[in-house]
Amino acid sequence: MALDGVSLEIKLGELVSLVGPSGAGKSTLLKLLTREIVPSQGEVYVDKVNLANLSEGDVPLLRRKIGTIFQDFKLLSNKNAFENVAFALEVCGASSEEIETDVPKVLGIVGLQEKINSFPYQMSGGEKQRLAIARALIHRPNIILADEPTGNLDMVNSYDVVKLLLKINELGTTVILATHNREIVNSIGRRVVTMEKGKVVRDQVEEGKYII
Amino acid sequence: MKESLKRIFNAGWTNFKRNSYLSLGTTGVMALVLFLFSALLALNFLSLKVVSSLQEKVDVTAYFKAVATEDEIMKVKDDLSEWSQISNVEYISRDQALEEFKARHAGDILIQDSLAELDDNPLQASLNIKASNPSQYAEIVTFLEGNKFRTLVDKINFYENEEVISRVEKISQSIQNWGMLLTLGLAVIAVLITFNTIRLTIYNQKQEIEIMRLVGGSNWHIRAPFLVEGGIYGVFAAIVTLVIFYPVIYLASPKVELVMPNASLIGYFAANAFKYIGMVLFVGTMLGVVSSAVAIRRFLKV
Repeated sequence: MALDGVSLEIKLGELVSLVGPSGAGKSTLLKLLTREIVPSQGEVYVDKVNLANLSEGDVPLLRRKIGTIFQDFKLLSNKNAFENVAFALEVCGASSEEIETDVPKVLGIVGLQEKINSFPYQMSGGEKQRLAIARALIHRPNIILADEPTGNLDMVNSYDVVKLLLKINELGTTVILATHNREIVNSIGRRVVTMEKGKVVRDQVEEGKYII
Repeated sequence: MKESLKRIFNAGWTNFKRNSYLSLGTTGVMALVLFLFSALLALNFLSLKVVSSLQEKVDVTAYFKAVATEDEIMKVKDDLSEWSQISNVEYISRDQALEEFKARHAGDILIQDSLAELDDNPLQASLNIKASNPSQYAEIVTFLEGNKFRTLVDKINFYENEEVISRVEKISQSIQNWGMLLTLGLAVIAVLITFNTIRLTIYNQKQEIEIMRLVGGSNWHIRAPFLVEGGIYGVFAAIVTLVIFYPVIYLASPKVELVMPNASLIGYFAANAFKYIGMVLFVGTMLGVVSSAVAIRRFLKV
């Protein structure tokens, strides 16, 4: 069993660090929120909607409310930076004018305006992750899920990513950051939920630290 | 709506361009398949020609006794002409028969001399009957046998021809059956090859599809560009096929005509060019789109 008796409520606008060793169930918890997996027991609510009541056709709609960032970036390798971000807007049914103006803007926010026509293989790890963040931001989601976003990055790039996440959170977006990077968690100093073997063992609401 | 269609076509086209090696390979395989189809069409045309030229050589002739008047024979002819299975009835009078006989043996002095010895025309008037299908000759003969003018008929050469007729019939039947079987078998193989090639192409992009799903793409958003891509493979394959096929037919046609003088391949494909080009384009596009649709189904489980 990946998760056992987890009960957690995250409010709009919060920034929560989800910490714990590998295999603690952090990713599983995030996958429940995007309905990549369905719980065998218990209920998951996102935006007051019980995910168990969601039909197959509504799953894409749920995912458009959430922006997701992964450790391995998950960029579309045969699309360039512009197209990678634009795809997330296209699936929401945005007009071409919106795409033309919004995509360069968001690429500017993450500092990739120079790389607009580059393909993922032409980018460094930090750039790829910033591109992934741009994609997660483009449709103005209420929730950003970041699953080990700094796992493949060095310290400098990691802090860039965290700074971006903090900035996003300041604008009112809920951010859930799953990580096992102690320095990063300690530097953020917000709510920290610690997991171990599928259970929540500690929930520090303020000034949280990574304690094992 | 118009915008999203444009987007889908753009995405499909971009995908086609960027995966140039894969696209080239898939298009090549599909062109091969379409070429096979075209070759089968040509083969079908030739076998039909063989069958019909064999059938044209088969006929039945009823010879009439000398007492039969022309009016009586014409009545029999009219009766026969009403049958839909009969493609042609030709009346040959005694004089005509003699003329033809003389003409045929113009160089043979012995025959010419013996004809001159005779006072009377030794040849008989006849009706030459061609059926549209060799299996109908037996029926026609039964009709002649039961006719009220039966007494005027001296002999019907069906009985001598019977074996030849039935053999021709058997050969043409088996040419048609085997041709059909061959066409069907090759068509199935062709579809399987195309399907598999496109499936491999899409398999390569399995991860991409998963990412699109995670970003919130609906099944339709993900599927449509792949269908367009499949269609593009088909269209290009069809064009390649046509560009190769017509010159090949043009070069092969005279050689085929040496063996079968009345079978002009280039004539056939030029006369039906519009239909044939349309068909190759349609079959190619459908093959691509349907293969893509089936192939992508497996990767779309949300």
